[in-house]
Amino acid sequence: MRYLVIYLSLLLALVLMILPLPEWVEIYRPNWVALVLIYWSMALPKRVGLWFAFLTGIVVDVSQGTLFGQHTLALVVIIFINMNFYQRIRVLTMPQQAIYVFALLLINQVLVAWVEGIMGRPTPILTFFGAPFIGTLIWPWVFVLLRDIRRKAMLR
Amino acid sequence: MKNLLQARGAFLQALFLIVICIAMMIFDHRFQHLEVVRSNISFALAPLRYAVSLPAIAGNWAGEWFTSHKALLEENEALRTEGRILNARLQKLQVLAEENARLRNLLGSAARINDEVIIAELLSVDQNPYRQLIEINKGSDDGVEIGHAIIDDFGVMGQVIHVNPRSATTILISDAEHATPVQFIRSGTRSVAFGRGTTDSLELRYLPATADIMIGDELVTSGLGGRFPPDYPVAEVIEIREDQVRGFVSALAAPRARLDSSRQVLVIQPRQQ
Repeated sequence: MRYLVIYLSLLLALVLMILPLPEWVEIYRPNWVALVLIYWSMALPKRVGLWFAFLTGIVVDVSQGTLFGQHTLALVVIIFINMNFYQRIRVLTMPQQAIYVFALLLINQVLVAWVEGIMGRPTPILTFFGAPFIGTLIWPWVFVLLRDIRRKAMLR
Repeated sequence: MKNLLQARGAFLQALFLIVICIAMMIFDHRFQHLEVVRSNISFALAPLRYAVSLPAIAGNWAGEWFTSHKALLEENEALRTEGRILNARLQKLQVLAEENARLRNLLGSAARINDEVIIAELLSVDQNPYRQLIEINKGSDDGVEIGHAIIDDFGVMGQVIHVNPRSATTILISDAEHATPVQFIRSGTRSVAFGRGTTDSLELRYLPATADIMIGDELVTSGLGGRFPPDYPVAEVIEIREDQVRGFVSALAAPRARLDSSRQVLVIQPRQQ
């Protein structure tokens, strides 16, 4: 029950992902689910691991109307990368951390676009960078907010 | 040693999940079996979608509430006039329909019946900027099925591709993966209108260089392929490009339907033939 906050935060991220936005803002929509998942896998790596990423990814795929496995694959890959680095990343300063998060978000974005490309819907390369960039700007707030919530819920 | 084993375990696990993902993607792309899983999870997510569309609904409601008395009177007057005009046209149409039926009878071809329609409202527009999908608020409980055509009051919008009990996903004719069988009203030439991923134009590719087309030509559904009922307006030609090298002509056409702004849509159930 104490872990409810994890699910609630992911649910909120999901809502933010499907909130209708004007068309031109759409390509700048940060990947909220990836941000929240990166935080939890950094904070509670034992609890939020690959399987967690997998199940979250399936729900994202359904809500986004993408192929089963498209976002799932991308989330599993970045969480796997994160599992290998989180101990080193935790001690970094916020700007350094943000650069790392940018890299993860970009990998996520590229993997999703890659599958689109294979299916014959190539996406212009320049549109790749907007969303991860906005995501990086938002990361410090996500981090601080979720850290406070985690401390209140006494999760470690 | 223990760390090493752990790392290897995580690596194998990740590899395993990645392989599953790839298998799922191929399976989902090629076959329809995962449709059941998708519609179940989608059903569970329905409250979320409603929650997301609440601000828009509230906005509409507030807008209506605060409309002034005068504006209402004006609107009422305008609607009444429009109603009268439409009624007048309808009378003419009925006569024409009867005449049409008589002529068809004479020709011995199947009589045309009015299509069955379901009125639906837009729930949400798809989040993915590279696709053109919309979610509507009628589903299999209301008789919507995969393949039913969607129109608004100006023309064809798209067709249903996923059905849930209380909602359905439709692909717009402007989606890059969608192609609509069409016919030019003026010349009768048949063609296929491909989506281009933007709501403002469709593409007619590889028309023969001798094809009789002009800017302003009207396109209607041809009814070939059986998905779209024939003779619904689709688009109007806005640009013609000649490919001198390969001897083809391609054209761009602006969709009639207001793909990006219609909120009320009609789902057409194809006639059984």
